[in-house]
Amino acid sequence: MNRLSTLLAQVMIVGTMVSAVLIAAGLVWFLSAHTGENPGDQIFSGEPKYLENPVGMVRRALDLHEAGERRSLAMIGIFLLLLNPPVRVLLAGAGYLLEKNRLYALISAVVFVVLAISFFW
Amino acid sequence: MTEPLFDIAVGGASFCAGVLGSLIGLGGGIIVTPLLVLGFGIDLRYAMGAALCSVIATSSGAAAAYLRDGISNMKIGMFLCIATTVGAICGALLATVLDQSVLAVIFGVALLVTVILSLAKKSESRLLPEESDPLAIKLDLPGELPEPDGTKSAYGVAGLIPGFCVMWVAGVLSGLLGIGSGAFKVLAMDQIMRLPFKVTTATSNFMIGVTAAASVGVYLKKGYLDPALVSPVALGVLAGAFVGARLLTVAPVRLLRVIFLGAVSVIAVQMIRQGLR
Repeated sequence: MNRLSTLLAQVMIVGTMVSAVLIAAGLVWFLSAHTGENPGDQIFSGEPKYLENPVGMVRRALDLHEAGERRSLAMIGIFLLLLNPPVRVLLAGAGYLLEKNRLYALISAVVFVVLAISFFW
Repeated sequence: MTEPLFDIAVGGASFCAGVLGSLIGLGGGIIVTPLLVLGFGIDLRYAMGAALCSVIATSSGAAAAYLRDGISNMKIGMFLCIATTVGAICGALLATVLDQSVLAVIFGVALLVTVILSLAKKSESRLLPEESDPLAIKLDLPGELPEPDGTKSAYGVAGLIPGFCVMWVAGVLSGLLGIGSGAFKVLAMDQIMRLPFKVTTATSNFMIGVTAAASVGVYLKKGYLDPALVSPVALGVLAGAFVGARLLTVAPVRLLRVIFLGAVSVIAVQMIRQGLR
């Protein structure tokens, strides 16, 4: 379990750093096109559907013509950040499976399924 | 306020919340939401979404350090995550149907309770592994804590079912308010399951991120995550927590705690008043 803990710790740190860099880049990218505008977070209006799924985000982020949708790059970073805990659970479950600890492989699987349901129902 | 000034101000405020949170032992999430709502007039839903993302960011960083040191009890964490993640989805769904003013009042009350919990005197009463709850033994939960001198001391686990139930409530609060609800998780593990403090802190850090991830899925679907707001908040709190953890060894922590817990109580009352207005 020790080697797995180290691997888990590394995944968490590297994952967080990569997503932080992407978010920062996305924020600068977004702000450079929106100077002088009102942020608009005072009134709740929901968010467009394409920001809900990774495919939509990537497509929008690559579409350089849509300056209004520059938030997508930051959203990819945020999505990476949100993936961190499920990956944590998945790796722990894989570790238990390798140890032939069926009970905890099952418990990890249950937690992972609950997380998956919350993301993809 | 217009961009980019707005995002710079939000990022700065989030940074302060992150520093404070790690100095006084509250999460950054529970401080940053009232700051955004009361200070910047941001809608509570956007604020909760941004705060929850910042919770995941800081939890990933902190949990990594503890994992490496071998202090967290992964089995306890994983088992209790069943309760917190299911609770978090329930809470997040509840948040989408409750009125904003009701949420603001609940938030204020939860913040006050958090302050009281962190002020309450705690006593550590460890169990021997053989005194554990029989169910905990069946689930192989008792563990070993590495001591500074290189030895390991074994500890037991009490009250698994009550602990599990309190964890569900902690999960509901996390999803309902967009917070990590670390204080409530620690309450369950310290006082009910009687784990050593270090194990509690480390394990709850692992759990906070997983719990928050369960609610954030719901938030994402409901459009609570505005990337233009999440970005400065998550980056600010993450950087703040990083700096705060390093200040811990040099800052007059006791004095700061008293001052800022007082300030946080005032903010909590303001949140309740805003909801009642």
